[in-house]
Amino acid sequence: MKRSRSMEFGVGLFILVGILGLVFLGLRVSGLTFSGASNTYQLEANFSNIGGLKPRARVSMAGVTVGRVESIELDTEWYDARVTLSLTNELEGQISRDATAAILTSGLLGEQYVGLSMGGDPETLEEGDTIRDTQSALVLEELIQQFISNMATN
Amino acid sequence: MSDVPFIEVDNLYFSRGDSEIFRGVNMTIPHGKVTAIMGPSGTGKTTLLKLIGGQLTPDKGRVLIDGDDVHRLSRKALFTLRKRMGMLFQSGALFSDLDVYENVAFPLRVHTDLPDAMIRDLVLLKLQAVGLRGARHLTPAELSGGMARRVALARAVALDPELILYDEPFVGQDPISMGVLVQLIKRLNQALNLTSVVVSHDIKETLTIADYLYFISEGHVVAHGTPADLDVNQDARVKQFIHGEPDGPVPFHYPAAQFYQDMLGDTATRGGA
Amino acid sequence: MSMKGGQVAMRITRLGRRSCDLVESLGRAGVFLAQSAVGIPSAEGFRLWVRQLHFVGVLSLAIVLVSGLFIGMVLALQGYTILVDFGAEDALGQMVALSLLRELAPVVAALLFAGRAGSALTAEIGLMKATEQLTSMEMIGVDPLRRVVAPRFWAGVVALPILTVGFSVVGIWGGYLVGVEWLGVFEGSYWSNMQASVAFINDIGNGMVKSIVFAVVVTWIAVFQGYDLLPTSEGISRATTRTVVYSSLAVLGLDFVLTAVMFGGL
Repeated sequence: MKRSRSMEFGVGLFILVGILGLVFLGLRVSGLTFSGASNTYQLEANFSNIGGLKPRARVSMAGVTVGRVESIELDTEWYDARVTLSLTNELEGQISRDATAAILTSGLLGEQYVGLSMGGDPETLEEGDTIRDTQSALVLEELIQQFISNMATN
Repeated sequence: MSDVPFIEVDNLYFSRGDSEIFRGVNMTIPHGKVTAIMGPSGTGKTTLLKLIGGQLTPDKGRVLIDGDDVHRLSRKALFTLRKRMGMLFQSGALFSDLDVYENVAFPLRVHTDLPDAMIRDLVLLKLQAVGLRGARHLTPAELSGGMARRVALARAVALDPELILYDEPFVGQDPISMGVLVQLIKRLNQALNLTSVVVSHDIKETLTIADYLYFISEGHVVAHGTPADLDVNQDARVKQFIHGEPDGPVPFHYPAAQFYQDMLGDTATRGGA
Repeated sequence: MSMKGGQVAMRITRLGRRSCDLVESLGRAGVFLAQSAVGIPSAEGFRLWVRQLHFVGVLSLAIVLVSGLFIGMVLALQGYTILVDFGAEDALGQMVALSLLRELAPVVAALLFAGRAGSALTAEIGLMKATEQLTSMEMIGVDPLRRVVAPRFWAGVVALPILTVGFSVVGIWGGYLVGVEWLGVFEGSYWSNMQASVAFINDIGNGMVKSIVFAVVVTWIAVFQGYDLLPTSEGISRATTRTVVYSSLAVLGLDFVLTAVMFGGL
């Protein structure tokens, strides 16, 4: 009987370890927070070329992460890419109407992310609005081509 | 036979792979008696028990137990029928993860809702009957072969079955435990009014407990009768078996080429070449 | 000439028979799984399940955790030497965590589980079959699929995902020890880079799905090989080997398929 009690204790501990491990993975490793979707609001931005931007990429302002790329789809009206950004609530009603969004690369080979920078317009963007001023990703091939054609004309 | 038949085996055919094991076996096993099924090794006696217990399905023919066709029953009905049967396996087949007490209690626990106290009484009663009440805390690994078989016997009778099937109960036992087992089987059969089927090739012991004997060879019943009948049976196969003669219709030699050829043929060809 | 034709015909016949055997044994294994896995849970069944969970789960924990620790440490060491060339050693946490969660933890834990618990399950059930315990259980009127196989199957299905979580956690910690404590990667970037790139549903969730699939397959193979083996000592040793070989191949093959579906954009 005593042996079976200690066995049951071991099994209980085992299951507990599993649950705690999963909680650790969720909170510490994937940075999950319990206050999930309600704490964000969404803005849209159209880019003529997004390069290698992926959903879930970082959105940062002055280097501080303020949100994520929610989704990327092709806008069939203009044939450019419509990127939906979800930003933290703290920024709601703070981003000016002439703010710019640029697709940047972290480091030489790093991932691509969206960088926001503030403008000076007193009017601000609300949930679902679109950022007008955007800067597409730099595509290496295009840069090289430009460089070569400049060389040729010189 | 005037006895009420408990088991009827009717024109049974069974084959495993390409080898035919039974070719039309007929048997009637009377209620409340010890019936022995004998025959040389390899004649499928254990297979016959498995067919009776419903673990194997025959190619043709049927087995009736108390009027029910074993192989036509649903799985559930078959398991219900098995509650009325006990089977003693050659090796004892005790559950290695349970101790002696729990092994005997096992059928009671799964088939009855008896309170623990009553299960305890019943288990101790059965263990007392096989003389192993003191061994109840041992694990199967700590038992000798004979003791394991006695525990298995206690387990087989735990639910007070109407029928017990014994698969080679005497194989590999020393003379003392053999005598103990013979006594136990005899006593249990009388005390509980059981129907017993004993599969064995130990002639002496089987003859002392059996009321009726079937002799199987080459897929048929070749003889049947009381021990006294078989003792004077003139069938060569039965005679050879009962009297333990090394050679006869059951040959001593496995089929082979002529001895002379086998020994000399090889050298002869080599010499010739 | 005619003899050659005969040999070819014989080969084709043999191939055909082998394929039929394969399909038949697959069918047998499927029916076996359905019969043993589906059943009404009972208090007695729960007790048996706990006992088996102890055997396949708790007793496998040590080997799985130790392996996880070493693999995490090696990942950090190897990753660092590659990443430092690009000045990207800050991405170490991300690399360690993603490789563990998506691939290494589910696969390596499943392989260890097949070797440690799967082979033991096969041998145990096989021995019960060889000593006629399963037959005698059937004769007592208890279905060995329910009583012997089902608790072992469900214990395996529950144990492996838990072991996989443990493997990941310990591996990430091992990566931390080597990367941050030893090689001097900045602690903040180890964790924050990890958090920025690991998604709960996509990475942890998919890893867990993999691990559950592996758990079902490995335990299924193990209990079926035990139940279906030839009840001799040679039969048991062969079935134990088969369990490890088949499980490993199934895990690696399925891992490719699952990875293609989950992360390959199919």
